[in-house]
Amino acid sequence: MANTSEISSDGGTLDPALRDLTQPLIDHAEGQLFLNEAFKIIVEEVLRKGTDAKEKVCEWREPDSLALLLDLQLRDTGESQDRLLQRVRDVAKYSIKTSHPHFFNQQFGGVDYHSLAGRFLTEALNTNLFTYEVAPVFVLIETEVLKALRQLVGWTDGDGIFCPGGSTSNMYAMNLARYKLFPEVKTKGLWALPRLAIFSSPGSHYSVKKGASYLGFGSDSVISVKVDDGGRMIPEDLDEKIELAKSQGIVPLLVSCTSGTTVLGSFDPLDRIADVCDKHQLWMHVDAAWGGSVLFSKQHRHLMKGIERAKSVSWNPHKMLLAGLQCSAFLLQDTTNLLKRCHCANASYLFQQDKFYDVNLDIGDKSVQCSRKVDCLKLWLMWKAVGSAGLEQRVDKAFIHVRYLLEQMKKRDGFQLVSTPEFVNVCFWFIPPSLRGQEGNADYQDRLAKVAPVIKERMMKEGTMMVGYQPLGDIQNFFRVTVFSPHISHKDMDFFLDEIERLGNCL
Amino acid sequence: MVLEHNHDSTKDLNLMALPSLFPCEGQSPETDLRNLSKFCQAVTDGLPLEESAERFIHEAMEVIIDEAVKKATDVKEKVCEWQSPEQLKELLDLELKDGGESDSKILQRCKNAIRYSVKTSHPRFFNQLFAGMEPYSMVASFIIEAVKTSLYTYEVAPVFTLMEDAVLKKMMELIGWDEGGDGIFNPGGSMSNMYAVNLARYRLCPNIKEVGLYDAPRLVMFTSQEGHYSISKAAGLLGFGTKNVYVVPCDNRGKMIPLALEEKIQLARSEGAVPLLVNATAGTTVFGAFDPVDKIADICELHSLWLHVDACWGGAALLSSAHKHLLKGIHRADSVAWNPHKMLMASLQCSAFLVRDKMGLLQRCHSAKASYLFQQDKFYDVSYDTGDKSVQCSRKPDAFKFWLMWKALGSTELERRVDKALAMARYLAQEVKKREGFRLLMEPEYANVCFWYVPPALRDIPDGPELWRKLHTVAPVVKERMMKTGSMMIGYQTHGDKPNFFRMVVINPQVSKEDLDFVLNEIHNLGKDLR
Repeated sequence: MANTSEISSDGGTLDPALRDLTQPLIDHAEGQLFLNEAFKIIVEEVLRKGTDAKEKVCEWREPDSLALLLDLQLRDTGESQDRLLQRVRDVAKYSIKTSHPHFFNQQFGGVDYHSLAGRFLTEALNTNLFTYEVAPVFVLIETEVLKALRQLVGWTDGDGIFCPGGSTSNMYAMNLARYKLFPEVKTKGLWALPRLAIFSSPGSHYSVKKGASYLGFGSDSVISVKVDDGGRMIPEDLDEKIELAKSQGIVPLLVSCTSGTTVLGSFDPLDRIADVCDKHQLWMHVDAAWGGSVLFSKQHRHLMKGIERAKSVSWNPHKMLLAGLQCSAFLLQDTTNLLKRCHCANASYLFQQDKFYDVNLDIGDKSVQCSRKVDCLKLWLMWKAVGSAGLEQRVDKAFIHVRYLLEQMKKRDGFQLVSTPEFVNVCFWFIPPSLRGQEGNADYQDRLAKVAPVIKERMMKEGTMMVGYQPLGDIQNFFRVTVFSPHISHKDMDFFLDEIERLGNCL
Repeated sequence: MVLEHNHDSTKDLNLMALPSLFPCEGQSPETDLRNLSKFCQAVTDGLPLEESAERFIHEAMEVIIDEAVKKATDVKEKVCEWQSPEQLKELLDLELKDGGESDSKILQRCKNAIRYSVKTSHPRFFNQLFAGMEPYSMVASFIIEAVKTSLYTYEVAPVFTLMEDAVLKKMMELIGWDEGGDGIFNPGGSMSNMYAVNLARYRLCPNIKEVGLYDAPRLVMFTSQEGHYSISKAAGLLGFGTKNVYVVPCDNRGKMIPLALEEKIQLARSEGAVPLLVNATAGTTVFGAFDPVDKIADICELHSLWLHVDACWGGAALLSSAHKHLLKGIHRADSVAWNPHKMLMASLQCSAFLVRDKMGLLQRCHSAKASYLFQQDKFYDVSYDTGDKSVQCSRKPDAFKFWLMWKALGSTELERRVDKALAMARYLAQEVKKREGFRLLMEPEYANVCFWYVPPALRDIPDGPELWRKLHTVAPVVKERMMKTGSMMIGYQTHGDKPNFFRMVVINPQVSKEDLDFVLNEIHNLGKDLR
């Protein structure tokens, strides 16, 4: 906004900083030029090259040399636009191309352009989701998206909120369960309560333990329930563990079930766990951060049979649905405003009660955050663009891809499954030729454990692809590939297997 | 994109009779795939950035630049386009359906979302502790969205890991921690304040991480009556209970009274409780007051308490040689929360949590050592995998938004912005004092200017309950009117027994004196008939 008015007569009597009060400090024309130029780089380097199978997934540099390349230091003086555009190019070049068809390293990947437009728009509008006053469109969109997600869970009514990640959602579940059972905890703290226990499987996400520590329960209060061969919680063992806790004078509080475990992609048997929860009056939370998206699929939603009996659900559309980081919904069956009662602080500077509109739309006090990002627009826009049917297709396609990958692995030597996939996680060892047939040798496990890290190092240094590996309990290092991006083709999966062989055959 | 719009293929999919999820021996997946029509063509072909996708993203960006950037910052345009929730629901056509929509329809939805959203970058948006548009930070946030990564390992976020470290170091330098420290960016200042509480607890009794609070002595924290509500939320979430937040009175400028803090600590002790942490505020939410950090630090040292400074709002003054005295003593804090997304205008969210400890306290307190993410046998130095310092798992690379704008502007320009905002606030306070019908609550210490507007009909009523009662209803009505005309946005609130007053917050370097004059004129125009 050009402002050319004269400095007023009293300008002279004020301090020097005031003399330029009529001059804006931001030159928007310059800023917009930069934005245009930077956007070209984003499209070329990140979107076009970053999704091109012929380009590299990563451009590996050791931390020290990357730090030098990036010239990180912040100085007194600013830099020219050209210099800054070069910085944008550097960031694009040395960042991992998570939308690349050969990026299999995490549970996010791929790119959805409608969601991306929603994200750009969210960033440009730069607002906070706490009151209707300051985010009217997004308050309504969040409400609608939560409703639609709840409908897929099977609830006609309920509550919810978007959180900065699934870990936070899981912690919300614990806090709500505790508050529901002992409302006095909010004011008096845990000192007023008996010892409480949380139950989850060893395959559950680590945020259950982090949450237990953070919320003051202590990680020891998380009781591990046995799993079957497929990594699924055994309801009978849950029942026993609950009885055991009770006999020790501990109050069982919550079961954190998992729909789609991080490593194996296992689904706990929700219906049977719900029976146990009913019997003992426990809060049933389902961490469906990863697996929740199967609810879109008529064919695969049976994996979460019984989900409607949960009290709360965590579901991250930023994972399988490609909504973009972060997009994490926390869904609640409750209709008594439990979420708000548990978290509210009634700040009078933000949540004034004498506003001219319905203040129930000021949803911010349901959160433990104050400023909260708008994470709903990207999902809403993408959902509008492709419809529930389009999202269902994505889920179904991922399963078909996994089938193809498994079939190809069977045809090749040296690929050995850790367990039969239930979802889109495929966990396997690659046995290099030199180790094949040596399972009986004493050092076999030790040697096998070293294979995946070396292959990983080689793939990253060459930049050809990225896939994760890990040990699990006493099982040695194995690869976990998650296949879900709609941009992946058979060719990419063939490449994946070829590349593992190429990098690992000589080991 | 073609793939997503071809809904006929769904039918094909459902028609597939799959005996089980995964094929039996001898059954070729290709057989099924042949049935999948166009939708699965992509399975074999792959989908690079298609022309249609690229065209769409270009068109969307055009809309964003024209409407959400250019128009949104244009003083001649409205700040907001008020619609009642019911009307807005209709206009937005929110419902999510089975079928998808064309790109042109989606672009129209983008336009609607912009039209009815509040323009927080407009020069007449003064409603929150953030405002304005910082183009460099915005570009950084676009890059973050396009690059789409999570900040937990060097492996998957090498660039942003290093940038976060560089920004934290620079912020620690400004705080005055010559020997460095540790830190992390969080989704908001409330989270940072909670981290402080958790770290203080862990330092005092590390085994609470495993065994919980049950056997620990009752722990108490202290904050002023003006401190942010997140301390209370922290007490609720972390299991302390809100009653174990002892509220320390403030002086008439809204600053914590050190003597009163001392008394509250003694009180807690006499009850058998263990004092844990003091939260001092540098820049309170309503008045912008600064607690006397140096004096509070003396008390904390005396009693061995964790000193946390919530400088989310006021931290920016550290960049100004003229104003950094407001935070004198901050280098003595154990931890600091500082949100560059407020006064410094980095895009939301950009919230730093800084800890003076260099011995890995943050990591030890929060770590869960997940073996699927933080493998210890990686081929690079795993100390660069910083994610286990957080209680989040996926975490956005927010530091980059600050880094790029800092590179663009330099510390000197950031300093000018802070100086200008504070000069503007003083100008506004002077105007308020000059004008009939405006009453300043107190001289601003920072960028918050709190005042009443007294309509002509109330000006003859002497100070007392009748005036307070009537004045109380003025700000809400003026607020309603300004939003319905869309001319500007300012917050109001009560405080203690004070009737509703306006709080202007001047941040935006694109704001001119004219804009501030406009605000006072407009309040008068909107409220002069009130009685």
